[in-house]
Amino acid sequence: MRGAVLPISMVPGNSVVHKIAPLPKLLWAVGVLIISFSTRNPAILGAMIVLGLFLASISNIWSSFLKVMGILFPIMVIAIFLQSIAPAFPQPWTPIAQLGPFTIYQEGIYSGLTLFERTFSMTIFAMVFIMTTHPSDLFVSLEKIGMPYVINFILTVTLQLIPILQREFATVLSAQKSRGMKGTGFGAVLPSMVPVFVGAIERVQQMSISLESRAFGSTGKKTSYRNVVMGVKDYVIMVVGLLASAVTLYWIIVDKSLDWSRTMHFSPTLSVILVITAALIFVTFIVISVSKIIKT
Amino acid sequence: MEEVLITCDNLSHVYSGGVVAVKEVNLKIKRGELIGVIGQNGSGKTTLVKHFNGLLKPTYGKVIIKGEETTNKRVQELSRSVGYVFQNPNHQLFAKTVTAELEFGPRNLGLSEEEVHERVEKAIEFFNLDTYRNQHPYRISFPLRKLVGMASIYTMRPDVFILDEPTTGQDNITTRIVYQLIRRLRDEGSTVICVAHDMILLAEVVERMIVMRDSVLIADTDPKTVFSDRKLMSSTHLYPPQITELSHRLKDKNFINTYALSIDEMQKVTDQQLQVKRSK
Repeated sequence: MRGAVLPISMVPGNSVVHKIAPLPKLLWAVGVLIISFSTRNPAILGAMIVLGLFLASISNIWSSFLKVMGILFPIMVIAIFLQSIAPAFPQPWTPIAQLGPFTIYQEGIYSGLTLFERTFSMTIFAMVFIMTTHPSDLFVSLEKIGMPYVINFILTVTLQLIPILQREFATVLSAQKSRGMKGTGFGAVLPSMVPVFVGAIERVQQMSISLESRAFGSTGKKTSYRNVVMGVKDYVIMVVGLLASAVTLYWIIVDKSLDWSRTMHFSPTLSVILVITAALIFVTFIVISVSKIIKT
Repeated sequence: MEEVLITCDNLSHVYSGGVVAVKEVNLKIKRGELIGVIGQNGSGKTTLVKHFNGLLKPTYGKVIIKGEETTNKRVQELSRSVGYVFQNPNHQLFAKTVTAELEFGPRNLGLSEEEVHERVEKAIEFFNLDTYRNQHPYRISFPLRKLVGMASIYTMRPDVFILDEPTTGQDNITTRIVYQLIRRLRDEGSTVICVAHDMILLAEVVERMIVMRDSVLIADTDPKTVFSDRKLMSSTHLYPPQITELSHRLKDKNFINTYALSIDEMQKVTDQQLQVKRSK
């Protein structure tokens, strides 16, 4: 069961990236998000991927990072296969190769590749951000810039509830397996879901009572146990991030030659290799996950 | 003569984070034994018993259940031989009625309809649940829910019952009922393993105690020996039943000459002592 749980949570550490305050990191992640949705230039997207991987490597989060990527990467990479046979691109399409029943289009490869790069760069930055930031620090920072306490609280509780429910689900699953329940199929849905949901509802009821009894919703300024201090370094990083995002965005908007979709050409062999690799990675992933599910 | 049901051979378990939860445990569990597993929270007792029905697999060493190694066995297969009653019945119960709940286990074993029906009736009788048979498991009181949890395993007729904290959160009456049921399960030829902090259960019901401390099995003997060993008890930060502690102190002052685990036993000891004094 442990393997099925996505380990998207903070990896404690002491690296340079860990030490940066949450807000500058959030700003960088959002910057990358905006840029990756504004451009289809493979080089810019590629550069962001390289930068993201570099940040991941200096923050010492590889093992958790790779675990998450092991699941997300095959899902993202399938974009190359799907796009190359049915490009999300205005016609006309230029066919460059034939792979069994599928015709591979020039624009499809371009579109697939950029779509993949887009999701990949965003995911890398988001992961580095989440894995190097303590959730409480993030909420303290968000509150400082004026996020209402109630919204903040809802976010925190939701984030906390996910691992709790995952653990609960694992317990219920082992309890039902001990009663001979087959681990898969429709017959497993009720026995494993009912106790989890009933437990969740009970938990929320209890929580509302304990919140009331601890004066939740009372007015007045709230203080926090954790305190995030923004140093000069953090402001510098923030300004650099802001400038870099703005400049890149301006460049993307002004320079029309950055759209390489009609100028960049892929050789048929390279395209076929790309498409097959993407499909293979995805199929392998599906086979491995299905066999894992059956085994439990 | 006695059939060995569970064998742990140099069993160690290391969790994925590198935490050693159980270290080099060797033990044999036979048919008809009444075993208590004790230790502080985090001492590895739950990890140990989770190996007995395959929920956890040994990192090193072997666990053999009825002659077969657990490593390549699924929990579902092992549930035929070893039943695990979880501490919180809410983790187990999902059906609309108590009867349906009890049918779940034997159905999973692939038994015929008559056999399932027969087992459910037997369980309802054994656990005295007749009044509640058509009620929703979530609507009956917590102690009864716990009994339903036990009954839902009972219908699977395992050779070994693992009961995780069978008496926690229950009032005195149901606690006594649970004690009786545990004895009756044994009388029917099952092995019962209780993971418990309930010292009275351990002193009065259990016949063999397995003591865990810091992932290591430090004692495997009868309750009397464990409870009379004050050093062992204090090293695990567990307190014996009050009556045992009292008998300890009386013995220290030479009022009595042996330990007692229950009030009845204490009475016997003091009666004897009085007789000795009178005859002098």
